[in-house]
Amino acid sequence: MIHQQNILRFISRGVISLLMLFAQQTVSAQGFLKLERDTVPFFQGFAVSADLVGVAQMMLSDYGQYEGAFRLNLHNQYFPVVEVGYGKANHEEDDVTGISYRTEAPFFRFGVDVNIMKKKHTGNRIFAGVRYAYTNYKVNISQRAFVDPAWQWETSFDVKDMRLYQHWAEALFGIDAKIAGPLHLGWSVRYRMRLAHNDNQIGQAWYVPGFGLQDSGNLGGTFNVIIDI
Amino acid sequence: MIRLKLVALWMLMVAGFTACSSIDCPIQTTVEVNYVMPDTLKDTLYVLSKRADGTDTLLLNRGIDLTKFALPVSYAHPEDTLILMIKDKQKTTTIDTVWMKKDDIPHFESVDCAAHFFHRITQVHATHVAVDTIFILNPSVTYDTSAKHIEIHFKGRN
Repeated sequence: MIHQQNILRFISRGVISLLMLFAQQTVSAQGFLKLERDTVPFFQGFAVSADLVGVAQMMLSDYGQYEGAFRLNLHNQYFPVVEVGYGKANHEEDDVTGISYRTEAPFFRFGVDVNIMKKKHTGNRIFAGVRYAYTNYKVNISQRAFVDPAWQWETSFDVKDMRLYQHWAEALFGIDAKIAGPLHLGWSVRYRMRLAHNDNQIGQAWYVPGFGLQDSGNLGGTFNVIIDI
Repeated sequence: MIRLKLVALWMLMVAGFTACSSIDCPIQTTVEVNYVMPDTLKDTLYVLSKRADGTDTLLLNRGIDLTKFALPVSYAHPEDTLILMIKDKQKTTTIDTVWMKKDDIPHFESVDCAAHFFHRITQVHATHVAVDTIFILNPSVTYDTSAKHIEIHFKGRN
């Protein structure tokens, strides 16, 4: 309940901050966030993109995610964005511990990127942005039978379809370069902060769809192929 | 040229993000039940139990002047049976049996870390040859080695 209240407070503060930010633009343009006064129309279309880092992780390891994004372009300056993906982990019988971990679930993020380049209409962009993200997923964890050291009864460890969830926020820095026509390539480095989570009573989830591994630090990244529409 | 640099940079990033991994298992992974006594037990205490194959296992050997002691918990057996053997200074031995019922909770940290079981003690009772009273102080048995789980009083042995 307290977690839910914290999340609602976080979301409402974020929304209010964004509204105040936009309101500020129309009233008095100050600082690097100011809307450039020129003849370029406010609405500049939208873009769709796919992340290749998650796909590479999926191919090279036993976890990863497929992820796409839909992004609005407001005056080449503000980019409200929704990211949707499907994360998956299938770690079969670890060589050392004998533990298997399986999960797969969708996730989403939404937020906004701000183009912080001085010349905003060149087609190349440097972004600073924030995201709110959520996933609700089930895990299966098992361990091959092992012997209780003191009593020597054979013991097994089996967690089936345990439902967990996680809310998190991301602060990101990224680059988006125009390659040819509507094609852009870009990357982002993301700092992830867990806001609230329910790991039920198992202890700690290992891979969380969209968030990644819990024990590998808070940094992540994407490499995006982007089509401007 | 800038595009080439970008491509090179993203290839490095992909390699970095997919290659990096770290193992961060807890250092303290002992899960034991801590028994406390309000007064020092001057006699010598041994604690035994029976293994799956019927042989005895010694869980505590020659505890002298104890005010507390810690015993392991079976991973997934619904009830642990413990034999408390007390030898006084005249070499007289008294034996009590303690039964501890519990729920076993699988505890997971990472695929790289060995899985453990936490426990919730639901009931404890004993015979009363040397044991006067025994009761649960804190039912939650985890990695926390400072928790006091069970208090035990012995009859006039302090």
